[in-house]
Amino acid sequence: MKQFFAFTKKELAESVVTYKLHILLAVFLIFGMMSPLFAKLTPELFKTLETSGIVIQMPEPTAMDSWAQFFKNVGQTGMLVLAISFSGIMASELSKGTLIILLAKGLNRHVVILSKFFASTILWTVSYLACLGICYAYTAYFWNDYTIHNAAIAFVAPWVFGELLLSIVIFGGTLFGNIYGSLLTCLSIVVALNVIGIIPNTAKFNPVTLSGGTLPLLGGVGEVSDFVPAMMVCAMMIIALLVGAVLVFKKKEV
Amino acid sequence: MPENISQFIPFLVPIIVIQFGLMVAAIIHILHHNKYRFGNRALWLVISIFIGIIGPVLYFTIGKGDE
Repeated sequence: MKQFFAFTKKELAESVVTYKLHILLAVFLIFGMMSPLFAKLTPELFKTLETSGIVIQMPEPTAMDSWAQFFKNVGQTGMLVLAISFSGIMASELSKGTLIILLAKGLNRHVVILSKFFASTILWTVSYLACLGICYAYTAYFWNDYTIHNAAIAFVAPWVFGELLLSIVIFGGTLFGNIYGSLLTCLSIVVALNVIGIIPNTAKFNPVTLSGGTLPLLGGVGEVSDFVPAMMVCAMMIIALLVGAVLVFKKKEV
Repeated sequence: MPENISQFIPFLVPIIVIQFGLMVAAIIHILHHNKYRFGNRALWLVISIFIGIIGPVLYFTIGKGDE
């Protein structure tokens, strides 16, 4: 455990030096602020066109539009940023060889993988909470009176999908030892999941539905239990990928 | 600018500041360093300036050379 916390601390310190923390916070703060504002402003922008003779009927924006923007931004660009920023987490140390000394001094290999996952989980959780908090505050300010349903599961779902991406880039990075391998693994798995999504009735079990599919839940449409299978599959994939990464890393020559 | 849009300016400013800050940080870093993992200075400047949020993120994670 001592090793685990020491290594996690080193990872967190490194994320400050490499600006990873700053970048993630900046990007997710932008999404948090942008989503409600974009929902609120789009109809206003169209109204300005009316003076030039074009009339476009837009329904009055609602708080749900704001959350739709939130799920879209976080579920697409946000996940892309997350995968890119953590793509070097295993790869850069493997290619630079900075782990050799630590491993020679008796650092356990599974500790490396697990504490890297833990450290990146902390960073992702902080950025996601910042994004969610800002979006929540702005939405509450713009739309005084609105209700959301099943907030817990609806907002946890994209976070769980983010965790899946983190475990994929760690697995990919360990397997290939470079950033491109890590990003390609991530891309292939996401593409594969999307292809599987074409098959009818698999959506319920597909982790991809977690990265934005829970929007209707907020509006009170659908059942919470519809998303439980996807969450379970996602959690099992995360565990399998981490175990896989540990096994690969134990056999790997650093 | 119509009245109803200008009332949102206080909300727009922080977004613009952060986005611009990311871009400027990337540009300064590119101009101060001449080692990149791949590509050259011009390529990274173009990427950081023209690809909204992702550009600077790409530079800092896969473009920036090791010090």
